Amino acid sequence: MAIINLQNVTYKYPLTDAPVLQNINLQVNEGEFVAVIGPNGAGKSTLCYTIAGFVPHFFKGEITGTVEVAGSESSKSSLHEWVLNVGLAFQNPFNQISGAKYTVFEEIAFGLENIGVPREEMRLRVEDALKLTGISDLADRSPYSLSGGQQQRVALTSILVMQPKVLVLDEPTSQMDPIGTREVFGVIRKLSEKGMTVVMVEHKVEWIAEFADKVVALHNGSVLLEGNPQEVLTSDLLTDKGFGISRYTSVARKAQELGMWKHNNLPVTLDEAVAGFKR
Amino acid sequence: MHERLSYYVKRDSTLHRLNPLTKFILALSIILISIFSPWYWTPHILFLFAIIPLCFVGRVSWEFFMSAFRLIIPAASFIFIMQAFFQPDGQTIIFEFWFLDVTEESLAFAFRIATRITVMISAFTLLLMTTHPSELMSDLTRRGLPGQFAYVIISTLQILPQMQAKAQTIINAQRSRGLDTQSSFIKRAGSLIPLVGPLVFGSLVEVEERAIAIEARGFTSTHVKTSLHDVPDTSADKVLRWLLVVLVIISLALNLWLS
Repeated sequence: MAIINLQNVTYKYPLTDAPVLQNINLQVNEGEFVAVIGPNGAGKSTLCYTIAGFVPHFFKGEITGTVEVAGSESSKSSLHEWVLNVGLAFQNPFNQISGAKYTVFEEIAFGLENIGVPREEMRLRVEDALKLTGISDLADRSPYSLSGGQQQRVALTSILVMQPKVLVLDEPTSQMDPIGTREVFGVIRKLSEKGMTVVMVEHKVEWIAEFADKVVALHNGSVLLEGNPQEVLTSDLLTDKGFGISRYTSVARKAQELGMWKHNNLPVTLDEAVAGFKR
Repeated sequence: MHERLSYYVKRDSTLHRLNPLTKFILALSIILISIFSPWYWTPHILFLFAIIPLCFVGRVSWEFFMSAFRLIIPAASFIFIMQAFFQPDGQTIIFEFWFLDVTEESLAFAFRIATRITVMISAFTLLLMTTHPSELMSDLTRRGLPGQFAYVIISTLQILPQMQAKAQTIINAQRSRGLDTQSSFIKRAGSLIPLVGPLVFGSLVEVEERAIAIEARGFTSTHVKTSLHDVPDTSADKVLRWLLVVLVIISLALNLWLS
């Protein structure tokens, strides 16, 4: 049973001529981890905003087709109800901090205050969320005094505490250093293992190969490829259309041309490449 | 980076435990009484016998005197000098300086105004030192201040230093590409222009992202908001608030009656 269901979604921002999303069909099952890849301007962020309800409720513009999450339809709901279905986190961790709170604990409670959760329940939920993302030790710090990776985990926690049914992540590690990236991916993996449905836009192909159940390749606002990570990430089509691909895939493809790679499948990660060259 | 941007001093004291609204009304009444009261010495008495003792009750005397030296004394001295020289009324000339007369009347007036200013700044310094900003805001929101309004005030306080840091980064980036920021005043003023674009437009883009971020956390939810902090409001608080309101009314009445 698909928890996210997009049917023939076409969307145009106000004041632009060309649609950013064209005829998108996307089904995501409960508990599934779907990664979205695509070159700049492919409509990845817009797709995130669409699932999260900001298209069209926040950005306005023209939308056709239907967006359903957990059986209810986005266009028939209002944004402040919709955000309880779908949690959204995006690139810049700094801009996701409310700026109205002095400690991480208060920051995470901000969303619960807004939706009127009683105080006792609020404390319990914040504490649980802090434990889930492993940042209990930051609870009393100022959100502005944290590193990028820590801030992004705070942003994730403040979304998770709202208990959304689906998590949408728009390049959550693009501004992180390797340590921050590992911290953030660690949290995302844990959430996915606990059964959270995740849709994530990401450029770091090696991480996707490790995490995702399914990969969607977006190009010029349409779905170019969709399928299991191994197949999609090593497809010839990606290089032609300007997608970022794994360096291990490029090396193995070159090796294949020279007759040094003797398998049908190309590798995405280092381990796969090493194993392939050994055999 | 700074851990916390506010004057708040974390202590446990009777003053800290008072309801934020009570403290706000306390600060406001001290100021209003010092303005309305018809007696000359009221501001001076309020400073010595209300504000100074309250610093000790709030256990922030050291921090208070530090900020008095940095902010209150310079501001009050400036006002005092201006008023002493430029107050036109007054017959009893004490001394003349160029075309300016300092008279007994102008000195008395200057002393009173400077003390009033001192009372005003100290009353609010004391309020900010003993009240956590988020407690003040959550208490005011609970009493009906619109959430958006509270958000604007408190986020501005926090975002200003961030903007300052960003402006510094832009200046450094432009300097490294040869922007002159150290010669004559006119040149330096001119070199501020290329700073404005990135800073202002950059901030506008950020505003959209931040709007999305707080919207994603139910900011426009129609539910009645709750608050993480339990801000107690005792019956002693209520009595004190009414008492203060009555005192302000009495001083206003005396002012109207005696003048």
